[in-house]
Order: sequence, then structure tokens, then C-alpha cells
Amino acid sequence: MKLDTTALDSSAALIPSIGGDGVFPAAPSFDLPSCDDFDGFQKNAKETLKHAKGTTTLAFIFKEGVIVAADSRASMGGYISSQSVKKIIEINPYMLGTMAGGAADCQFWHRNLGIKCRLHELANKRRISVTGASKLLANILFSYRGMGLSIGTMIAGWDEKGPGLYYVDSEGGRLKGNRFSVGSGSPYAYGVLDNGYRFDMSVEEAAELARRAIYHATFRDGASGGVVSVYHVGPDGWKKLSGDDVGELHYKYYPVQTTPVEQEMAEAPAA
Amino acid sequence: MSIFEYNGSALVAMVGKNCFAIASDRRLGVQLQTIATDFQRVYKIHDKLYVGLSGLATDAQTLHQRLVFRHKLYQLREERDMKPETFASLVSALLYEKRFGPYFCQPVIAGLGDDDVPFICTMDCLGAKELAKDFVVSGTASESLYGACESMYKPNMEPDELFETISQALLASVDRDCLSGWGGYVLLVTPTEVQEKILKGRMD
Repeated sequence: MKLDTTALDSSAALIPSIGGDGVFPAAPSFDLPSCDDFDGFQKNAKETLKHAKGTTTLAFIFKEGVIVAADSRASMGGYISSQSVKKIIEINPYMLGTMAGGAADCQFWHRNLGIKCRLHELANKRRISVTGASKLLANILFSYRGMGLSIGTMIAGWDEKGPGLYYVDSEGGRLKGNRFSVGSGSPYAYGVLDNGYRFDMSVEEAAELARRAIYHATFRDGASGGVVSVYHVGPDGWKKLSGDDVGELHYKYYPVQTTPVEQEMAEAPAA
Repeated sequence: MSIFEYNGSALVAMVGKNCFAIASDRRLGVQLQTIATDFQRVYKIHDKLYVGLSGLATDAQTLHQRLVFRHKLYQLREERDMKPETFASLVSALLYEKRFGPYFCQPVIAGLGDDDVPFICTMDCLGAKELAKDFVVSGTASESLYGACESMYKPNMEPDELFETISQALLASVDRDCLSGWGGYVLLVTPTEVQEKILKGRMD
């Protein structure tokens, strides 16, 4: 089984080796556990970590670029392990990736993608396109298919062709599109997002739509919550627009209404 | 996910000075999806006896109806209200009747007994009673609740302080649980009055 292990030693891939066919050196390999039932072992390990993609992330293209938004909760089964996880990963100053699924998997492979994008820039003297970057990631994930990686990510950026948005997952899927939402809270986010979406919105309107969509997902979905982060990717790169605590957003959208008193307090009978 | 985590719940009861407080979260969910944010988990049996039922919501509702039925029969026969200790034994017996096909509930019973001495107890789904002098917890957030109560509890608290303590313990614990929260409900009972309060909590 030949795995794509250029992640381990990315410089080795570009140094031509002397002898052999001169292009591909003997690649280093990930250590694999020596056990009888490798697939069963992987399955058990995956279940132990309980990934389940408990999160809500979304991204959409509109007139002024791409909006990317996410919640910040990490859950392990029913336990909330953190309310302050950074789920929008800055691959480089003009490209963002979102995290859904296993946190370690997403962090590692996004950083690896950032390395590959930079190497591409140095080798070709121009920035990599969003199409190219998402294809690099998708090919790596495809080669690890069935090994228990859990990644549901969106790659959003601005290149020479304008705004770009791709959805890439650990099953090896890669889709180009204008609107995506990923995670256990995505059905709720889609409801709000699809209803309020128009191509020509201003940046503030688009950011408020994204914020509202993530807020509604955190309300309904138990595995989403914490802080809504909203980023905008424009021709000059990405910029973080806001980070609002969802607990406070709820009372801002739905302020507490004092109900009229139904029962006046009466004198208690002598005990 | 286990059957006890299907709907999600958090319950806590605490004893103060001649008073007790019982608090619950308000979420009803189906695994990760939230269906309602005003679900009632604490039920009144009589003026000085309340029972909170955590676990599977349908079993909680059915068990509550059976308990109300049994208590009304008792009132007709004995012409008085049930003491909390007696009620706890009743609940325990009802749960053990279903030993080989149990109700998936963990009750928390809180009441004022003779001479208005506060009484609290909890049970597992088969009826094993656990009497406590300070606090009892139940539900998906029970581990967080144990930690919060252990650190915040002091004996002989006045009603106002007891209310503060139980509210903070509940809100802090459900903020670490995906399956419970979305508001809180606190019932504070003293010999002369009953206070019901709804807590403003994180809605995520």
C-alpha cells in the first residue's frame, strides 16, 4: 500500500535523486502498527475519538468575495472539551480553510497544504490557484481513504480568476460551488443561509447573514456553540470581521420580554 | 449514544437551612438536535414534595403520571399527604417492579418532612436509593454537576444564598454538556413559600 507521505518530508520530493529514475526518491513512510486486524484496529481507534464532525462551518461566494464563518465548540461525545477552538485556518494570506471533523487531522493537513502552496509559489514564481490548492489536498486525502481520517473542509480564496470556493472531505470528495455548510449543524445553517442569500450584498450584509446562520445552528445543534467567527476574503486577501459570543448573540436577537405577573403573591396560610 | 443520553437532562437538588432547592435544565432534544427549550422536568407531588426525573423523557412523563396516581390514592385512603421518605420508598418500589425492563429515568426527590426538615435523595433507574445530606445530582451533566456542587456547597445556607449557589452550579455544569442547558429552572421551597425562577443561560 503506497501512501502519499510527502507530508513527512516535503523538501525531499523536490530534490532529484542521483541514480534510479532520477525523479522520485525513496519516500519515508508513516509507521503502521503491527497487528492482526489492521482495519478493525483503525475502526476502534476512530470510534474511541468520537469525531462525528460536531461543528458548524459555512462559506459562500458573493459579489464582494467570499465569506467564511464557523462556530468554536469542540465536543467529545456529550462532553464539551472546548468553547474556543479556532476552526478557520489561515493557510496563507489570501486563502482560508475551515475545520470540521478531527481537529488534529484538520490542523495538520491544512498546515501541510500551506507548505505545499508556498513551495509552489517559489517553484513557479506565482501564487497557486484555489483550484490547484484544493486539488492538492483532495489527492492527499484520497490516498488515505479508509484509514480513519475525519476531515470536512472548505478551501476559500481569491486568485486570478476571482473568488474561489471548494469543498474537500476525507472520503476523497472535492466539489466546486458557491455555497457550502459543513458539520452536524449544517442543516440549520443552510436553512437560514439559503433563505437570505443574494449575490449582490454588501460585505456587512453578507457577514450578518453568515453570523445569523451560524447562530441558528448553535441554537439547535448540541455540538455547535461558543463564538461565531466571520472572515471575508477579498482581492487583497482575508480579513477577520468579527468574533461574537453566541450566548450574548441570542439575547441580542431575542431580548428577554418581561411577562405580566399572572399570580399575585398571597399571604401564606399559617403553617 | 446510550438511551440515557437520547434526550439530555441535568438535575440537581440541594439542602439549605430549613429549606431546599431543586433545579433542572430546560432542553428537550433528540440526540444532538434541540426540539424544545421549555421542557418541564421537575414535577410537584404536593406542596412540600417535588420530584425531578432525568433520562428518557417519555419514561419520565409516564413515571410522573404513575406517581401522581399512586399519591392521589394514598391521599384518599390516608387523608393526608405522603412524607418524603415514604414517597422515596414508593418510587424505589415502582422502579424495581420493572427490574427486567426498566424505566430509563433517574429520579431526584426533594421535600420537607416532619417539622419541616429538608429531605433529598436520588436513585438509579432500578430504584437504588441514595440519601444525601447536602446535594444530589442526575442527568447527562451529572459528572460536571458533582464537581460544581462539591466546590460550591456550604451547609446551612439561607434561601437566597442557596438559590445563588444552585443556579451557578447548574449553569456552570450545563455549559460543559452538549445535551443539556438552554436555560435553567429553579424551585426554592421553604416552610412558608415556594419560589419558581427561570434562569437566563447560554442558548447553545
